[in-house]
Amino acid sequence: MGKTLFEKIWDAHIVVEKKNNPSLIYIDRHLIHEVTSPQAFDGLRMNHRSVRRPDLTIATMDHNVPTTDRSLPILDQTSAIQIRTLEKNCKDFGIQLFDITSHDQGIVHVIGPQLGITLPGTTIVCGDSHTSTHGAFGTLSFGIGTSEVEHVLASQTLWLDKPKPFEIRVEGKRKNPHAVTAKDIILSIIKNIGTAGGTGTVIEYRGDGISDLSMEQRMTICNMSIEAGARAGLIAPDEKTFDYLRDRKYTPKNYESLVDYWKDHLKTDSDAKFEKIYTLHIDNIAPQVSWGTNPGMTCDVTESVPSPEDFSKGDHNQKKGAEKALEYMDLKPGILITEIKIDRVFIGSCTNARLEDLIEASKIIKGRKISPHVRAMVVPGSQMVKKQAEDLGIDKIFTDANFEWRESGCSMCLGMNPDILSPGERCASTSNRNFEGRQGTGGRTHLVSPVMAAAAAIEGHFVDVRKMDLN
Amino acid sequence: MKGNVIKYERDNIDTDVIIPGQYLKIHDYAELALHAMEGLDPNFHSKVKEGDFILSGRNFGCGSSREHAPIALSHSGIKAVLALSFARIFYRNAVDGAFLLPIEIEMDAYSNISEGDEIDIDISNNTIKNLTKKQTYKMKPFSEIIGKIIESGGLFKYKPI
Repeated sequence: MGKTLFEKIWDAHIVVEKKNNPSLIYIDRHLIHEVTSPQAFDGLRMNHRSVRRPDLTIATMDHNVPTTDRSLPILDQTSAIQIRTLEKNCKDFGIQLFDITSHDQGIVHVIGPQLGITLPGTTIVCGDSHTSTHGAFGTLSFGIGTSEVEHVLASQTLWLDKPKPFEIRVEGKRKNPHAVTAKDIILSIIKNIGTAGGTGTVIEYRGDGISDLSMEQRMTICNMSIEAGARAGLIAPDEKTFDYLRDRKYTPKNYESLVDYWKDHLKTDSDAKFEKIYTLHIDNIAPQVSWGTNPGMTCDVTESVPSPEDFSKGDHNQKKGAEKALEYMDLKPGILITEIKIDRVFIGSCTNARLEDLIEASKIIKGRKISPHVRAMVVPGSQMVKKQAEDLGIDKIFTDANFEWRESGCSMCLGMNPDILSPGERCASTSNRNFEGRQGTGGRTHLVSPVMAAAAAIEGHFVDVRKMDLN
Repeated sequence: MKGNVIKYERDNIDTDVIIPGQYLKIHDYAELALHAMEGLDPNFHSKVKEGDFILSGRNFGCGSSREHAPIALSHSGIKAVLALSFARIFYRNAVDGAFLLPIEIEMDAYSNISEGDEIDIDISNNTIKNLTKKQTYKMKPFSEIIGKIIESGGLFKYKPI
């Protein structure tokens, strides 16, 4: 029987395998950041261990860096300590760090691919759940906890139970690909399979609806695999993948011979078996807006907020969850999504803060002003994205519309730095999680695409972006 | 292992409500524990006692990979979380650092155990006794690797093969 792409990468990285035991898996690249690494370095020091492969370990600071003027000191002392701790740890253990002053600084899942550190067929881990992003390159990549970070630092390996392969087929053609985006595809998938629909699996996204997407759009899809509970998301590499990674700062010198190898090896065999299969037809899908407090609580922009009864389909816990979500979100069943007024707009995060996201959003913004009661910000995913956007004059389009144009980092996606919502504020956000308090205590998050976020900033409420001129 | 139950009757309790993002800068575990469950239940810290258990629905610990989540619960006194299912990263974090036991239960245990019940968890026999209600339920056994890591006292004490 043939193998899936996931099984091929897994098998190629087994160091030790014994029946009825976990496998020891080799890790090709380890990305670290300031929040989930300090205890791991403490552990190394306590046990007199070194970093086994500092050359395969890459660090940046993204989670709690300020997104304001970088020449000013960091006012939050606890953040400043965490940032200085990462600097010291990288210096002590010989790890390359893209620090706050670096032109290559940015969200770890934006800079990995951008620098050519992410490569097809490799394994990548990081102490961050959205490591699944790198799967867009045919990379087996997943988030780990701090104990596992320490284990990888010490040994460059991990003990893992083998996940099951899950095929998600995305078929058809979107009628308006500028208005119905990769974000709407992945939100539709999570809405349908649920936030635990991918538990214990590695999802491989396949079909013409996936091969049509650009690399940046594919990253948006794989990024949110974790929101469906999956270990990782994968997309088989193709010419778009190879073109994207060619001539990056750290692209290997023998790149073309690697491409030849990848073309032969990195695909699922026609007779391979998946444990689970789900198919989404995208010809008629609508732009998506989340209404609740997990990414599965999402509906079409043309719909109204569902009642807990309708949402739960008879499941007691789902009903209670929906009731609690509506109370937290201060929404009543039956309200049209397009009637929901927003206070804030956040265009950013490892899900949607790449150049293409900013270009698409700017098409809506151009020549317009944001609604007077809305505060809106753009936080580019990396310093490189910021620079590229500025070279294209995109920053000007946003600032002319009264958007704030900021320095790169995770920012308001997770509320660790000063970019947070005030209690009760409602935000159209291009990030990945609408959990209670995620963007600040009492803040209310609606997950949307960059295009929807931009339109909501202008209109002050959600709109069916398919009706806007986006070309 | 005996203790009393704190019950959250819902699915998808995420790591952002277990320990909100603004506290991830805290390096001291006792201080971190002061904010455990703050996003969902601001009274948690005042009601939790050493040796208590949390009981909840499906997909417990979904979201962020922050190991601060099981650490904050563990340093609040929680010895085990009983849930219908767990998100993978939380599950491994709980076991890897030997912070607490993530125990998968069946619907009968979930529906019958109430807030405040005293229960006795017997891992060697995969059973949960409800001492308050005089009932016994099955728990799902740990997989081989998880059982071994738990027995060893965490990932770094585990000596495989």
